[in-house]
Amino acid sequence: MESEVKTKDKKNKFEILDKSDDLYICSRCGTCLAYCPIYKQTLNESFSPRGKMSLLEAINKGKLKYTDKVSEKLFTCTTCNLCKEECPSGVKLDEMINIAKSDLIYAGKYPEVLDMLKKRIKQAYNITFDSNAGRLDWTKQLPESDPEKYIKKEADVVYFVGCVSSFSPRSFGIPRSIVQDLDSAKVSYTLLGEEEWCCGFPLISSGIKDVIGDLVKHNIEAVKSKNAKLLVLSCPSCYHTWKYEYNKYSGKEIDFEILHISQYLLRLIKEGKIKLNSLSGKVTYHDPCDLGRNSGIYEEPREVIKSIPGLDFIDLPSNRELSNCCGGGGNLESINQTLASKIALAKADEIIETKADIVITSCQQCNRTIDSSLKKKKKETGTKVKVMDLPELVLQSIQEQKAEN
Amino acid sequence: MVEMNKILDINPVDLLVTVEAGVITESVSKAVEHLNLFFPPDPGSMKSSTIGGNIAENAGGLRGLKYGVTKDYVNSIEIVLPTGEIVNMGSNTVKAVTGYNFVDLICGSEGTLGVITKATLGLLPIPADRASILSFFKDMTDAAKTVIDIVAQGVITATLEIVDKVTINAIEDFLKIGLDRTVGAMLLIEVDGQKGATEIEADIVLKVCKSNNALSVRKAKNSQERDKLWEARRAALSSLSRIKPSTILEDATVQRSRIVELVEAVDGIAQKYNIMIGTFGHAGDGNLHPTILTDLRIPEEAEKTEKAIEEIFKATIALGGTLSGEHGIGITKAQYLKLELSKPVYDLMEKVKNAFDPNNILNPGKMKCVWNS
Ligand SMILES: Cc1cc2nc3c(=O)[nH]c(=O)nc-3n(C[C@H](O)[C@H](O)[C@H](O)COP(=O)(O)OP(=O)(O)OC[C@H]3O[C@@H](n4cnc5c(N)ncnc54)[C@H](O)[C@@H]3O)c2cc1C
Ligand code: SF4
Ligand code: SF4
Repeated sequence: MESEVKTKDKKNKFEILDKSDDLYICSRCGTCLAYCPIYKQTLNESFSPRGKMSLLEAINKGKLKYTDKVSEKLFTCTTCNLCKEECPSGVKLDEMINIAKSDLIYAGKYPEVLDMLKKRIKQAYNITFDSNAGRLDWTKQLPESDPEKYIKKEADVVYFVGCVSSFSPRSFGIPRSIVQDLDSAKVSYTLLGEEEWCCGFPLISSGIKDVIGDLVKHNIEAVKSKNAKLLVLSCPSCYHTWKYEYNKYSGKEIDFEILHISQYLLRLIKEGKIKLNSLSGKVTYHDPCDLGRNSGIYEEPREVIKSIPGLDFIDLPSNRELSNCCGGGGNLESINQTLASKIALAKADEIIETKADIVITSCQQCNRTIDSSLKKKKKETGTKVKVMDLPELVLQSIQEQKAEN
Repeated sequence: MVEMNKILDINPVDLLVTVEAGVITESVSKAVEHLNLFFPPDPGSMKSSTIGGNIAENAGGLRGLKYGVTKDYVNSIEIVLPTGEIVNMGSNTVKAVTGYNFVDLICGSEGTLGVITKATLGLLPIPADRASILSFFKDMTDAAKTVIDIVAQGVITATLEIVDKVTINAIEDFLKIGLDRTVGAMLLIEVDGQKGATEIEADIVLKVCKSNNALSVRKAKNSQERDKLWEARRAALSSLSRIKPSTILEDATVQRSRIVELVEAVDGIAQKYNIMIGTFGHAGDGNLHPTILTDLRIPEEAEKTEKAIEEIFKATIALGGTLSGEHGIGITKAQYLKLELSKPVYDLMEKVKNAFDPNNILNPGKMKCVWNS
C-alpha cells in the first residue's frame, strides 16, 4: 500500500536525537515493570517502559537504528501512562514514546493499520469506512428520532459525540442516554452532525501530526458557529485532546468551557436539574486512563454514582491514579489483539473480585473491552457482572421515577 | 528467570514457603497473608524485585533492625552452578550445621557464584498490633542521638527511619502533605508486637524523643494517618531524584552508636565540595543513604562527585563501618573494596569465585578490584 502516514515535512533528523534528558534521568530502577500492563502480560523486558527507554537511549547515542523490531516494541503500548505515574524519577515516558512514534513514522517503520487510519480520517473525517453523513444514525431508535431536534442553529451546549459512539452500534447506548439525560434536565443543546470531524486523537497518539491542524480548526469553528458557551464530550480521549491538545495546535486559547460528561452530569445533579431515583445493587467504577490519570478526573464520576440513592459503591482494588488499563488503549487491539485481550481479562478478574453487580465506566472504549472480557469470563466461570456507562446509569435512575409514577 | 514465578508450596506448620526464584518479592507476603503470615524482608523495590535478586543482593528493607535481612529467611536454595550441576544447599530445619554454610555464602554473592532457581523461605506471624510515631528535630545530630537512645532503652523498633532537611523539603515539594520545612530532621518510628506491649514501647519512644529536644512528637491516630507517614518515607528517593538529573544513592553503614559521627561527616563532605546531599535511611540499622544530587554529564560535577563519594567511603571505614549495608558492591563500588578488605581476605574471595566458576562466566567484573600494591 502507498504510504499514507509518512509525512513530507522538512525534518532532517530524528527528534529523539535532541532529547537525551529523560532518557538519561531513567535510572533503570525497574519500578515501572510492576505496573506496565504490557510487561505484566508478556514478561518481556524489551516491551516494558524501562526497555523502551533503554532502546531510545541507544538510538539517542547512535548505537541503534530505528528498525522494524524497535517499532514493534514502541507501538506495543496502551498509552495508559501507569509507567509515568509511578516512575520515581519523573521520567516523561509519554512524551518520549510519542516522540519515538513520530520518528518511526518519519522513518517509515510503523504498523500498517496506521496508513488506513490516516487515509480514512483525511477522506471521511472519521475513523470508519462510513460517510460522515452517518454521524446521526444512532438517533434513529430514539423516542424522538427527528434529526432536526438534535441539530439546532444555536444552543448553549454542544455535545461532541466522538467517532466510536457515532458509528459503532455497540456503543450507541451511550449517546442515546446522554441526549435523554440532557432532555430531562431541559438543557439547550445541539449536536454537530456531519460537521463533527474526528478530534484527531487517534493520529496524535500514534505520532502522526500533519493532519491535525485542519481537524482542530474545523472543529473549533463548528462549535463556535453554534454560539455555545459549553462543549461536552463523552469520550475521554476526545475530552483529553480538546482540553489539553487543541490550544497547542490552534495556537489560541479556546473561549468556551470544556467538560467531560461526568463533570456536566454532576453539575446538573447539583443544580437540581436532574432528579435521581433509587436503584439497587453493588456498583464499582473503572477509571478510564484518558479520563483519570491523563486528565485528572477521578471524583466526579464517583460523586455521580454516589448521588444515586440505594446503590452500594465499592472501589476496585486498583483505582484512581493506579487504575489498571482495560487493554483498549493505544490502538493495541489492532496491533496485537491477543495481548489486548489478556490485559482485558486481567481487568475482568479485578472487577469480579469486588463481587459487584454492575461495573460503571465513563468511556465507550473501556465499556466495550470490559464487556467482551466479562462475557468471556461468564462463559468460563458463570460470573455475571453488568457493564454500564455513567450516562446510562443516570438515565436508568431518572427513568425509575417514571416507572414509580 | 521472570517466568519462573510460581509459589510451589506453603507450609504454615513449619512457617516455610517454597518459591521459584523469579517470584516478585511482594507476592510472597501476599500469598501467605490469609494464613496471618508474612515474609519480613521488604526492600523498597519489592513490587518489582525477585526473590532470586533479593537473595543475590541479600536485600534489606525498612524492618531490618527487628527482623533482619533476606539471609535471615533463606533456609535452603536450589542453584545451578556455572559448571552445570543443579544442587540443593541448606536445610529446612530450624537449625543445621552440616558442612559449610553455603546458603549464607550465596546470599549477597551478587550472582557471581551460581544461578538461584528455587528457595525455601522462612515466614513469621503478622504482629497483632502496630504503632507509628513521627518526631521532628532541629538537626540531624539530635535525631541520631535519639535513635541510639531508643535502642539503649531496650526498645527494638520494627523500623527507625531518619530523614534530613534536604529530603524533607524534596518530599514536601513532591507530595505537598504539609511537612514543616523549617525543621532539620525527622524520625519515623514503628513498633509492633502484642497489643499492650506496643503501647508501652511507644510511650518509651515518645519520652526518649522529648528528652532529646524533639521539636514535636506524635503518634499516628489511625491507619490512614500511619499510611500517610509511610507514604512520605517511601517517597524520599523519588522526591530527591526529581531535583537533579543524576541521583547517586550511597549505602554507608556503621554501628548504631556511631551514627551521629557519620551524619556529621557526610554533612562536612557536602559543604567541602559544595554539593547537594540528601540523607535518609534506616538509622536503627546504622544504614544511611546519603544521596548525591548532581548532573554527571558536566565534567566538573562528575569529578567533585567522585571525590565526595570516596571521602564518604573513607569516613565510613574510619568509623568502623562498611561500604554497603544492603545494595551491594557490583561494578561501581568494586574499586573501593580494598578500603575495607585485607589482601588475604580478597584473595580468598577470588579463590572461592574460582572454585565455583572456573571459567569466570557469571557476572565477571562484579566485586573485582585491581590490587596494585
Ligand atoms: C527503587 C529501589 C529501591 C530499593 N530499595 C532497597 C531497599 O530498601 N533495601 C535493599 O536492600 N535494597 C534495595 N534496593 C536494591 C535491591 O537489592 C534490589 O532491587 C533487589 O534485591 C534486586 O532484585 P532484582 O530481582 O531486581 O535483581 P536484579 O536487579 O535483576 O539483579 C541484581 C543482581 O542479582 C543477580 N541475580 C538476580 N537474580 C538472580 C538469581 N536468580 N540467581 C543468581 N543471581 C541473581 C543479578 O545477576 C544481579 O547481579 C532497591 C532498588 C531499587 C531500584
Ligand atoms: S520507573 Fe522510571 S526510572 Fe525506573 S526504570 Fe522505569 S522509567 Fe526508568
Ligand atoms: S503507557 Fe502503559 S502500556 Fe505503555 S509502556 Fe507505559 S505502562 Fe506500559
